[in-house]
Amino acid sequence: MNFIIYLIFSILSVVNASGNTLVLLDNQVIRETHSIFFKLLQDAGYQLTFKIADDSTLHLSKYGEYLYDNLIIFAPSVEEFGGSLNVDAITQFIDEGGNVFVAGSSATGDILRELASECGFEVDEEGAFVIDHLNYDVSDNGQHTKIVVPSEFLIDAPIIVGERKAIAPLLYRGTGILADPENPLVLPILTADSTAYSYIPEQQIKEYPHAVGKNTVLIAGLQARNNARIVFSGSLDFFSDDYFTSSVQKGEQGDKVPVSGNQKVALSIADWVFKQRGQLRVRSVKHHKQGEKVPPQAYTIMDQIVYSIEVDILESGEWKPFNTNDIQLEFVRIDPFIRTTLTRKVPGKYEAIFKIPDVYGVYQLNVDYDRVGYTRLYSSTQVSVRPLQHTQYERFIPSAYPYYISAFSMMFGVFLFSFVFLHYKDEPTTKTKGD
Amino acid sequence: MHFFQKMKNSLIIASILLCTQASISDYISKADIEKFLPAFKSTFENFNEEDLSNVYYGAKGFTLLSQPLPANAGDACKHLQKFFKDDSNTEIIFHSLASWSLINCNKILNTKLHKDTTLKALKTILEKQESTTGDIRYALESLSILSEPVPNAIKIVQLLQAQLKEDDTLPSGAGQFATQYVEDVVVQADEVDGRIMQWEGGLTLTSLLLTGLLRLPETKPLTQVQAEKFATYLLTRKTVQNAKGVVCLLEAAFALAKSNVSPVSITFVDFAQNLLSLHLHPVIAQSATRTTDDVVVLSKQPLTAGATPTEFILPLLLDPGHYRLDWVTQTGTSAPRLTKLQHPSKLTSNLQADSSHHLILRFSLSRPVQQPFLRLSSGKREIIFVAELDSSKAYKIDVNLANELSYSAQFDLELILGDSIMSNPLRWSFGSIDVALASQELAEQQAKRGPRPEIVHMFRPAEKRPPHVVSMLFTGLAASPILLLLILWIKVGINFKNFSFAALPFHIGLGGIFALFICFWLKLDMFTTCAWLIPIGGFTFLAGHHILSKLAKQKK
Repeated sequence: MNFIIYLIFSILSVVNASGNTLVLLDNQVIRETHSIFFKLLQDAGYQLTFKIADDSTLHLSKYGEYLYDNLIIFAPSVEEFGGSLNVDAITQFIDEGGNVFVAGSSATGDILRELASECGFEVDEEGAFVIDHLNYDVSDNGQHTKIVVPSEFLIDAPIIVGERKAIAPLLYRGTGILADPENPLVLPILTADSTAYSYIPEQQIKEYPHAVGKNTVLIAGLQARNNARIVFSGSLDFFSDDYFTSSVQKGEQGDKVPVSGNQKVALSIADWVFKQRGQLRVRSVKHHKQGEKVPPQAYTIMDQIVYSIEVDILESGEWKPFNTNDIQLEFVRIDPFIRTTLTRKVPGKYEAIFKIPDVYGVYQLNVDYDRVGYTRLYSSTQVSVRPLQHTQYERFIPSAYPYYISAFSMMFGVFLFSFVFLHYKDEPTTKTKGD
Repeated sequence: MHFFQKMKNSLIIASILLCTQASISDYISKADIEKFLPAFKSTFENFNEEDLSNVYYGAKGFTLLSQPLPANAGDACKHLQKFFKDDSNTEIIFHSLASWSLINCNKILNTKLHKDTTLKALKTILEKQESTTGDIRYALESLSILSEPVPNAIKIVQLLQAQLKEDDTLPSGAGQFATQYVEDVVVQADEVDGRIMQWEGGLTLTSLLLTGLLRLPETKPLTQVQAEKFATYLLTRKTVQNAKGVVCLLEAAFALAKSNVSPVSITFVDFAQNLLSLHLHPVIAQSATRTTDDVVVLSKQPLTAGATPTEFILPLLLDPGHYRLDWVTQTGTSAPRLTKLQHPSKLTSNLQADSSHHLILRFSLSRPVQQPFLRLSSGKREIIFVAELDSSKAYKIDVNLANELSYSAQFDLELILGDSIMSNPLRWSFGSIDVALASQELAEQQAKRGPRPEIVHMFRPAEKRPPHVVSMLFTGLAASPILLLLILWIKVGINFKNFSFAALPFHIGLGGIFALFICFWLKLDMFTTCAWLIPIGGFTFLAGHHILSKLAKQKK
């Protein structure tokens, strides 16, 4: 009987690189003002279907099947979606693994706010802009709402935004987003500087602004527990041709950077949200006693066990070995008894050798790899561990010699005595006493 | 379009106050009084044709503060004389007359300000039906200044009562006369966040009503708590600039201080030496009551003046225990620690604070800005506070450290000032504050993602075993009986002459059982051992039975 049960929860489905994508727009003008972004997506293999957000023929699914893998909503001011599309339909789309990319603006409509709050973000009130009087672009219109965000305020996750150091400063003009810092699924992809705040530019500050300083999130991401991904940007202009191509100069005196980093970041984020980046899977899990090839029916306490796992990552549509150095293995019986970092043997293959604890029971070999930007990798293998058998204990214990000698001398004595008792012949001259 | 305003020369004066939360956390200090004086002085410098009241407030202010009048007091008298008219309203008449007497113009100019027509005008006001309570009040006070008798007192009282029935709004300024309205008046005071009490209408009205209420004999209009709240309000208004406001503030403060509900704030208690020092004006210990059994151990003991003019000492030779001390004093004080800074200087040393402290930041700018933020940061965490513009056009931030901060740390203080029309937005890091709260630095929140700490299983340590010598000794002892048996047997001589080969199977069987036991010890498990033992045991049993029966036959 095989006591080992494999439980592998990871995305094994092959993702189609040419994802069907529905793009919802406020009006056809956005398609032109954001043409570079859409062109880049099409070049990357996404099939874009452009629709106006209140088009009455909108459908996400037909006959229970989703028509699209991804949804882009570049319609900040939409009041009501057309067709069968509404917040519930989009939420359900996310629940079933769909990816959503939303860009708002300072005039974000209620329906997008509702969608944002379903995803764990909150969009600042209507009319509010992120204002930074110390970091605004020279082409700003005087209200300091076209702000310059250095790339160091991007989230420290190259898998989402690329290498931060190689990215030029970013331009941003839009509203602020509040993300719950306690929510472990929400990722602040781009945040503002300490000097920024989100408020209506023309008004004097009477109430404490909703988003102040580093708490002001400009672009928020979310990876749901089902690995569906959502990105919510407070700025639609961030993705516009204008911002992709314009130069950046902080204030009057700042250094001029010829081209902003917006294009690079926008494409990275799009690849991430549409699951072309950071998808992991477990290819195989093996474990056995050291020096053997196949797993035993049950391990004995204090055995040396060898565990190995192969992990793949999806890169440009193909599964390739995933190389890292921080995958951890847990040996769990209710609580983890051992947590150890796996060592990489060959690319994509990780191994750990450890001694099973001196406590018997049913254990699990768990690999739970949850890193910012990557899909969650979880593999659990159950093994039973039994105590030592009678014959596996230590035999010659020096301190037990008196017991051994007592027992064997008694046995030898009985054996000898049986001879004497049975075969002794009384001789008249001598008497013998047996003991 | 860009609008830039050069603000390079704008001075930013920030003052940081750290004050302890006591019954009232502030007092009118010498520095404050010095700040008031210029306001009074200016009233003597810029005379305004129409505004005789200003002179009154200046003169009144100097008198209240017991400061000598400035040298140009005579000019004021001349000014009064020049513009005094009988037909001005009663308020101005009163102000003029009062200033006249306060400055002592009688002596300076050797004339009187009022004429008989003035007196007549005042008296008609008192008799007129349509005079407001305010008019009546000013007229009466004017007469009392001129030491003229009040005509027809009963009629005036009737008139007043009639007026009060018609008009019970507060600004009628009648608080002074309305004994029966005292309770109503107090009830109408507004309480602001449980800390401050005032009457709607600002400092002037609050002051007027407060002075009036406290002047009433034989009533106790305010409770101690209310008095403290009013005092707090007055102290928040310390920054008033004009002479009228200052006079109102001072009058109310003096009235409150003189009253029997004068707020007290104890700043320093030194139990080690059984000395109690208070930074207060003349102080009398009303009583000291032991809280356990309410025995009054001390009453009406004045405190002796200490080393500094505001310190008073009372030696307390009491048995150890908890005592409740009641004090009477004129003004209560608690010295806040105040630091003044000018941009771009920095605090020379870190501010120290604990949970009972407030961090108060005040700064003034040449024009209001949209972003007046104070940023407290420690490491990667930051807390931002927004300054509020108070009535004196200064920005103020009051941070209750215990409420706003959740852990002890050294916080860097940074002022961020920005506005869309400001060409030089400011980010001024001006020092840091060490905050010591009960809760220590929050344990770094465990990373939600990322590698977790490794766990290594602790194996049970091997049990301790006795030394080899001991076990070998006992091995020898355990082996001694069999050795002794063999030695004795050899000594006495044993033989096996009865041996017959028929007994051999039994001995082999018995030996086999023992050999099996040795194997069991070495490697066999229980099941294998039993499987072997059954045939060997059966065989030995039969062989044994055979040999015994044979021996029995032989003996027969």
